[in-house]
Amino acid sequence: MDWDEEYDLLAAGGGAAESSFIERVRNALPDDDDLPIPDAPRRPAPIPLAQPTEDETPLQQLIRHWINERNCPDILPAQEELLVTILDHIRRQSQTVQLLRDDASTSEDEHVRIMLAQTEMERVKFIVRSYIRTRQYKIDKYARFIRTDAEVQRRLTAGERDHASRYANILDRHLYKCVLQSLPPEQAHLDDSPGFVPSMITQPDKTRPVFVHALQDCPPIRLPDGTALEMQKGHISLVPYYVVEQLVARGEVELV
Amino acid sequence: MALQESLRVSLTPPELELIACQQPIEIVPLISMERTAFISGAYGPLRPPHKATVPIWMALNLKSKKKCHIVAPEWLNVEFLQDRLGRETSQPGFSDLPFRFAEVSKVLLDVASDDLENPDKIRSLLKNLREARQAKCRDGLGTLDHSELSLPNLCSMEINEIRPFFVQSMHLLTQLQRQPPTAP
Repeated sequence: MDWDEEYDLLAAGGGAAESSFIERVRNALPDDDDLPIPDAPRRPAPIPLAQPTEDETPLQQLIRHWINERNCPDILPAQEELLVTILDHIRRQSQTVQLLRDDASTSEDEHVRIMLAQTEMERVKFIVRSYIRTRQYKIDKYARFIRTDAEVQRRLTAGERDHASRYANILDRHLYKCVLQSLPPEQAHLDDSPGFVPSMITQPDKTRPVFVHALQDCPPIRLPDGTALEMQKGHISLVPYYVVEQLVARGEVELV
Repeated sequence: MALQESLRVSLTPPELELIACQQPIEIVPLISMERTAFISGAYGPLRPPHKATVPIWMALNLKSKKKCHIVAPEWLNVEFLQDRLGRETSQPGFSDLPFRFAEVSKVLLDVASDDLENPDKIRSLLKNLREARQAKCRDGLGTLDHSELSLPNLCSMEINEIRPFFVQSMHLLTQLQRQPPTAP
């Protein structure tokens, strides 16, 4: 049965898809036929990347990114690899379930397993959908800003970038056809930034406060009133987003 | 739009419940099951008289089909909550409770109240705790400024509850703060 293969895969090292190729090579057992290469430069053991997420499963990571995305005023970097891992896993799991369902000899006990596996798949799919929709919502909202800003474009996937630029173009054309074409040309711009009023291009407001929860002890951060704050693990605080932006990016805190 | 209006400001309580139900909990299974790989990890094997650890959602699912008993977490009993309620009313800070205690206690009381000792007493203690903590939250609003507000031991459901108002207030204070340098 495929269940057991899946289990073996998981037991063998967290599942093939979960670690990158490099990670697997690094963790590989030394082969018998691998002679030590004498002239290899002696280097200290590879420094592990700063990964506070080490003991997090892919699903836990996705949940963290999903909540961060929901609570964050800005668009966070896309987690494409993680999504691929999770989607692959869902696909494998649903194939297994399908196989077992079609098998007439499947026992009553197996039905409980199937039911639980299906329940879990629905839960995970809900999270995946909600995560993608949250990004989609922000991309639509800031589409015209994304078109002009290279930095935020780097945080999107190719598909998201494509969507943003098409959406912005359609919106511009619509506004032009409905209203702007009948206005005098000097009032027909969509990107004026006159003083005293906000710019016409909606930008993520990084001063919006967020609730942060420190996952580990964090380096001191500078608060808007000039004082420094050093968050211990487990600390919960309400601060403007730009103050903790770097900590969120490094995964040292999560938004709650 | 991609995201419904009601979901834009913050997470909803059912979503918090979904997240909380990923946490592990102990059960005493009434059916046996081989060790099985799920997306969140491998669970089992379930052997009837022995305890096993599974995610809460799985425990609830099995419980509602009468296929297991749930072992209450160590904090979900009358003595512990009584103690915390005592601290809550006698000390100024928030007492130390699990981050997602509100969600977990709700689902367990809903589905598995027969596995808990004295569920009615637990319910009323939780309600008292909630009210005591809520009052402190409201007092906390007085100390809000434009830069930072520390909220040790606040739990996820409470954060979600105060979020819209606190975020809006602090945002407004930030905007007011920014005015002086730009004005002549």
